[in-house]
Amino acid sequence: MGGDRVMNTRPDKDAVKNGKAKKTGVVAGLILLGVLLVALPPFMNPYGESMITQILIFSVFAMGLNIVVGYTGLFSMGHAAFFGVAGYTAGIMMVHYGIESFWIIAPASIVLATLFAALFGIISLRVSGLYFLFVTLALGELLHSVAWKWRSMTGGADGLTGIPYPSLGLPFIMNATHFYYLVLIIFVVCVGLLYRIVKSPFGSALQGIREDEHRMRHLGYNTWMYKYLAFIIAGFFSGISGMLFASFANVMAPEHLGVHTATLAVLMIILGSDRVFFGPIIGAAIVLFLQYYASTFAPERWPLILGAVFVLSVMFLRGGISAHLIKLWNKMGSHHASTKT
Amino acid sequence: MQALKLEGLSKNFGGLEVLKDISFSLEVGEHAAVIGPNGAGKTTLFNVISGALSASSGKLEMFGRNITNASTHHRIQYGLGRSFQITRLFPDLTILDNILLALHGTKPSRYHMFHKVAAYDGIMEKAEQLLQPLDLWDLRGEKVKAISYGDQRKMEIIMSLASDPKLILLDEPTAGLAIDEVPSFISTVKALSGNTTVLLTSHDMDVVFGLAERVIVLYYGQFIAEGTPEEIQANPKVREIYLGIEESEGHAES
Repeated sequence: MGGDRVMNTRPDKDAVKNGKAKKTGVVAGLILLGVLLVALPPFMNPYGESMITQILIFSVFAMGLNIVVGYTGLFSMGHAAFFGVAGYTAGIMMVHYGIESFWIIAPASIVLATLFAALFGIISLRVSGLYFLFVTLALGELLHSVAWKWRSMTGGADGLTGIPYPSLGLPFIMNATHFYYLVLIIFVVCVGLLYRIVKSPFGSALQGIREDEHRMRHLGYNTWMYKYLAFIIAGFFSGISGMLFASFANVMAPEHLGVHTATLAVLMIILGSDRVFFGPIIGAAIVLFLQYYASTFAPERWPLILGAVFVLSVMFLRGGISAHLIKLWNKMGSHHASTKT
Repeated sequence: MQALKLEGLSKNFGGLEVLKDISFSLEVGEHAAVIGPNGAGKTTLFNVISGALSASSGKLEMFGRNITNASTHHRIQYGLGRSFQITRLFPDLTILDNILLALHGTKPSRYHMFHKVAAYDGIMEKAEQLLQPLDLWDLRGEKVKAISYGDQRKMEIIMSLASDPKLILLDEPTAGLAIDEVPSFISTVKALSGNTTVLLTSHDMDVVFGLAERVIVLYYGQFIAEGTPEEIQANPKVREIYLGIEESEGHAES
């Protein structure tokens, strides 16, 4: 209690200085991470490279979805549908129609995913709360069963196999390392876009809706439109992620459209923290590392491990791992500052 | 042109008539108060005017525009502002973010996705202008849930004034303010530009008689009387409601 009081009356200048120091710390960290990500591939074995590629792909999915889940406070269990629509579209174009150009596949699959999001958003945003969660879940399962039944196109339960890397139209044949760099570039662009959105009046309004939608209407905001746009934006990023995932995994299966993948993305957000911009990246890394180790040592125990991690993190790491990392960082910072004065 | 015009406005919740056939109007620039005992329907009336509830029957006009069926956010765009009796802020956002949301709310910038929320011409100056007099500017980085209740009440009021509305509804604006802060609130409202119309409710008669040029009395959802503060104070019906005494005619007229 006493601590709060001190915080409240702390002079303005210190707060600004602290904020600036924190900012430079974050920027320095980001640059270091960027250099690492660019320089690493030659020193990594294929597993490491593939792991990081996968983390980057799912980070785009989870961060995009966090616009809806964390920023707007709407629990969508249906955004795997748009991940899957883009993945299947890219896969079907390449496998069935022999179109391999990235410059055709990417826009086509992302636009289709976004259109699906625009349609599903109209349906699911008619309700709120738990009902919204179930409608999004049901719509996702609907597409799941379409993928299951439409064997000629999707390969049904066996999945759509043999999806290659897209071609960039450059004079080399894409390999795993090239694809890694493609994913890295797209990841950086997506993170940049999402950061702008989150810090904009629009992003601010989404958080206002999460806090008190009724008041937002009384400030002049058409809150339905914001929720709808957020839903579509998340669908757009889910689509980018799904399009990349198809080539990464070489296969799309019905489960990629449904509740299984949707849960995984939401878990990444909750584990990593839905209130911290970079949180879902950390969540994606943890979930995918766990999945990797579980699948090598005890594949049949994977759901058990995932469940246990989820329960433990909810019990002991409320607000997500990133939130606790930031607290720790701030503690170290303030300790450092207090020893100086 | 009238700022606000109610024609036979009623609101039912099932069989319960909370507002019965209310008609009155406010001239542009007028400061008026709605008073009445608890359960008179004051907050319901505000909810119907702001669009939080839809009217069961009757007609509602704002600056000559029929808004009976307009959604809340449209009414705000047409120049309405509202504060709440029970504080409704964005607790997990900072004071500054709260004010910036209120400032963007009535501008096209509210839909911008690629500009920083604070990087608009004059917006920080405007935020400082609103927060500084209430000693909240230095606390702008604090989350609203961490500030005192009194400060939250002040925020509640300036949030509704931030967009320079032409018609403001203030629901129990001074509830939760310290007694010595009430005069500064009264002068804040008095300092609003001359063509700002204000409709407020309050249990604090100092606020009502200090601000209102006209007082409207509701009793169990019914329109009882309207008039200048002096007329209302002298009105036998109003005295009966508030004091529970049936006075003789001669006495009331004296």
